[in-house]
Amino acid sequence: MALVHKLLNGTYILSKCLKPSVASCPFLSTRFADYCSSSLQKPVATPGKASAQRNSAGGLQGDHQREVALDVTSPEEKPEVSFDKAIRDEIKEHFWRLKDEIVNHWIGPEGRPLQEVIMEQARVVWQFRGKEDLDKWIVTSDKTIGGRSEVFLKMGKNNQSALLYGTLSSAAPQDGENSQSGYCAMISRVPRGAFDRKKSYDWSQFNTLYLRVRGDGRPWMVNIREDTDFIQKSNQMYSYFMFTRGGPYWQEVKIPFSKFFFSNQGRIRDAQFQLLLDKISSIGFTLADKVDGPFFLEIDFIGVFADPAHTEEFAYENSPVLNPRLFK
Amino acid sequence: MRDYGVERDLAVYNLLLDVFPKEVFLPRNVFQKIFIHYPRQQECGLAVLEQMESHGVMPNKETEFLLLQIFGRKSYPMLKFVRMKLWFTRFKNVNPFPVPRDLPTDPVDLATLGLRRIEPDLSAKVTIYQMASSRDSTGTADPTEQHIVGIQSPGQQAALARHSPARPVFVEGPFSLWLRDKCVYYHILRADLEPPEEREVEEIPEEWNLYYPMQLDLKYGRSAWDDYEFDIDEVEEGPVFAICMAGAHDQATLAKWIQGLQETNPALAQIPVIFRLTASTGELLASSSGLEEPCPPPAQEEEEEEDKTQRQQQGQS
Repeated sequence: MALVHKLLNGTYILSKCLKPSVASCPFLSTRFADYCSSSLQKPVATPGKASAQRNSAGGLQGDHQREVALDVTSPEEKPEVSFDKAIRDEIKEHFWRLKDEIVNHWIGPEGRPLQEVIMEQARVVWQFRGKEDLDKWIVTSDKTIGGRSEVFLKMGKNNQSALLYGTLSSAAPQDGENSQSGYCAMISRVPRGAFDRKKSYDWSQFNTLYLRVRGDGRPWMVNIREDTDFIQKSNQMYSYFMFTRGGPYWQEVKIPFSKFFFSNQGRIRDAQFQLLLDKISSIGFTLADKVDGPFFLEIDFIGVFADPAHTEEFAYENSPVLNPRLFK
Repeated sequence: MRDYGVERDLAVYNLLLDVFPKEVFLPRNVFQKIFIHYPRQQECGLAVLEQMESHGVMPNKETEFLLLQIFGRKSYPMLKFVRMKLWFTRFKNVNPFPVPRDLPTDPVDLATLGLRRIEPDLSAKVTIYQMASSRDSTGTADPTEQHIVGIQSPGQQAALARHSPARPVFVEGPFSLWLRDKCVYYHILRADLEPPEEREVEEIPEEWNLYYPMQLDLKYGRSAWDDYEFDIDEVEEGPVFAICMAGAHDQATLAKWIQGLQETNPALAQIPVIFRLTASTGELLASSSGLEEPCPPPAQEEEEEEDKTQRQQQGQS
């Protein structure tokens, strides 16, 4: 898979990718995708007909819908065209990762001493201090379904925060299928281990999500997706609102995990269950508040911590009117 | 419905639902109950309810009664109504910074609302430096004066008074703030972060207040094994001294704001003020020296780019 795609591209890219692109000019094709770890400009993801909020079974395989990015290289830099070198480097990289994993297993979970991990009460999961931190995120907008919103992600001032900005446009695409449009999202990539195996986050000792953001007053939605290892649940996610205040001051947003409600294919489900924290695959921020115009969101870091004052397990109860089967 | 301006009017939705014939779509025997009875009509009812939902209109008992009469208790529109009732009530007050539904139309009031929202200090004072001049009834000329509303808290006033005149303060902007569906722009007056050598911690002498200590060095409650700090360096930024919202984003209007600020902050007269304004058309400006960020690619045109700045030296009168 990767080999054929590299042949077509002729670019030295360190990647795992999808089915080979049929289009001859892969840089301009918007339908096919490349998982690029070294990007000059933040790529805008264009998975075929997939969306953050309104998921439908797209043309691509379910798991890989989140892993795609449009490869846009600048005209000045000439990419190295060396097929064998690319393969060799990728193999070396995977074995290096495997060796790291085996060695780290002896030290503790993910290379940190076990005592530190157990006693930890606040952990920084994503921080934005350099370009490589931005590569862990994908930005999507409703361009995938034909809308006109644009969204970009770049490092903010002084390399100390990430700035997600763009323009939202809720003009519905005239394709007879979608009556509403206008969203954009920033989703984290699924963490990968050696040989691109999927890994997940384990946050079972924490109970609150902590974000340090600076927005413009727009309401965002935080979505958490769980690991889809054995069960195919790629369209399900847990979400909650994040209301930004606007202004020049940093805002701390603390959302306890018990407040996340369950939704499938973009719609809230009747049967609610709490978010289980032991296999979290990715987190995402979505803006879809039906107001056209430019927006921005500056994120300093994202962390999780264990709030001792929060004892609620789940905020929503199932109602017997909607779910008589649960109450038999 | 948006053309008539009634998209948030519940009575209109009820009248729309009234158009459906009653008791025709009710399932009458068990076979009709198993299959979706009159599916297109149910979808139509669902579409009306979906529009209600997307505009945030809460249905009431009349809607429930109508739906019962039209579709029956076990129909999809009825199910959607129950869900709307449940989830709307759950998420009604979920916004910690609520914005009122009916925003004021007067720009000065809107600016005041926005500034109060931005500034968390409740003791901050809002000052209206200039009201928008009223237009003549003939409407010949645009108003030459735009409104300027500013906010400053006593802590910021004290900090500005302490600021050394050797270091300039910057007027940055405009930044956008969205209030529901209205966008207003604000400018801030801030200084750069002081280098660590010049930072001095103000010591309050103990005799300042004999009744209770002004500084206590106790560590409450947290034992050695409780550590809720995040392992990351905090983003350090310079202090903000004042925020303002003005009708126009050019330097002349903001200079008036600075002059107005000088009345309450006499120290501002000695401090040089540099205007760092982004162009309102959003064109890409060449970043001058002294800015840290790299030049963004030329394909983008954004209005509130915080790194595209134009440095203009402005001596303060």
